[in-house]
Amino acid sequence: MERHILGYKCRGCGHVWYPNRAVCQDCRGTEFEPVPLPKTGKLLTFTVLHNLAVDFEVPSLTLGIVELSNGNRITGHLKIDQPKIGMKVTGKVEPVRQVGYHTSYGMVFYKG
Amino acid sequence: MRDVYVIGIGITSFSRLEYPLVEIAAYPAVMAMKDCGLSKVDHLFVANMGASRLNHQTGLASALVDHLSLTPVGAETIENGPASGASAIKAGWMAVASGLHDTVMVVGAERMREANNLETTDFVASLTHPLAEQIYGVTLPSLAGMFTRLYMEKYGVTSRHLAMVAIKNHNNAMLNKFAHLHEPITLEGILDSDDALTNNPMVADPLRFYDMCPVSDGGACVILACAEVAKKVKRPLIRLAGVGQATDTHCVHERKEPTDLLAVRGAAAQSFKMAGIKPSDVQVAELHDAFTILEIAESEEVGFFKKGQGHIALEEGYTSLTGKLPINPSGGLKAKGHPVGATGVGQAHEIVTQLRGEAGERQVKNARVGFTVNFGGFGNNVVALTFIKEK
Repeated sequence: MERHILGYKCRGCGHVWYPNRAVCQDCRGTEFEPVPLPKTGKLLTFTVLHNLAVDFEVPSLTLGIVELSNGNRITGHLKIDQPKIGMKVTGKVEPVRQVGYHTSYGMVFYKG
Repeated sequence: MRDVYVIGIGITSFSRLEYPLVEIAAYPAVMAMKDCGLSKVDHLFVANMGASRLNHQTGLASALVDHLSLTPVGAETIENGPASGASAIKAGWMAVASGLHDTVMVVGAERMREANNLETTDFVASLTHPLAEQIYGVTLPSLAGMFTRLYMEKYGVTSRHLAMVAIKNHNNAMLNKFAHLHEPITLEGILDSDDALTNNPMVADPLRFYDMCPVSDGGACVILACAEVAKKVKRPLIRLAGVGQATDTHCVHERKEPTDLLAVRGAAAQSFKMAGIKPSDVQVAELHDAFTILEIAESEEVGFFKKGQGHIALEEGYTSLTGKLPINPSGGLKAKGHPVGATGVGQAHEIVTQLRGEAGERQVKNARVGFTVNFGGFGNNVVALTFIKEK
């Protein structure tokens, strides 16, 4: 089964929010339906982080913000050797953090 | 509303302090009471971000009010991330301006170095969105790194400009005995020499080690009072003339223009409006430079310079100690230090010291209007204060 990251579509005005919020910023609506976010987009910015929080037993992490094809933006991991602002990327939902027995899934972006 | 004055101030060194958190809070409080000659106040606000997590202590205000033998007056702890300090001052201002209290003590205190580096990084990262940022290992330096990359691309800021902020603020801290870092640095040592990458490694590319503030312990205190009390105290009259606050999206990725810091812009505009001044009236400012890029970006957002021009003003020496508008004469978070919950009170301490004319070697000449920006999260909750010395 393919995993997705969910956006939240306001039933009042149709705006898709990510992450979810209790009240729509545009129309003050309070009802939302989950919709899968697209997985392709372009890279807005990134960093290579060398001083990591706990649970990350790797020397560095490449983090980025991606603008998805529907206009939503998302923060995720990049598995790209030499990232460039504006490049096209495609995401997969993969494990991103392991705390004890708990695995968190999130968006991991690859070139193309 | 009534006018509110800062009548007493106190501070600890911002560094590694090997004594309990309540003592870190009490020391500047006693200093501030001695400074204005009061031995009692009507209320206590304590700013702290991490005691429950880093020091296994909750209810810090209740502990401090008794430690200072101020019971039974009211006391509250205020947590607003790294902007806790200025938020607590704002609460004190509301209490005095409204007429509820005549004198309010505001203490900021933090003891971060009791925990190790990993725990502290993780603690500060808990400011980020749990599901959309934290799970990826997003930390505050990583958000600053992504912000810096865009800023460089859009406005032509370079690593050299960032290093110039660090060098300026380290030099200012050399003149401040309370500063965490007494360490002069040079462009050669941190940027140009063959050893620069060893001396100054990448932390969150393009931000390097010397672009980051240190992790500090520290405490600071200001005592606020109404005009009637302030006029009896034999200290220069410094009025807390403007208080502004604004918020922004929790997730940085949701901001329409990711290089804008709208909460800084909004908080500053409110603060200046209340004080009845323009940004160009400010003569000394303490801006929240947890990362070097933030001093440049905030100096633009508050209206000192046009967007994209802050690094040019820096380059021309406009913001150095002898420039037209000295920024972070104390050394800033960058070199004075950043004990998160105490930082905003520490900034107010520096501005009051400057306006009183008591800043010694780092005195900004004839400063009458001072300003602070205290920045919570990655710019999602910002408090800006304006101080005016009255004749």
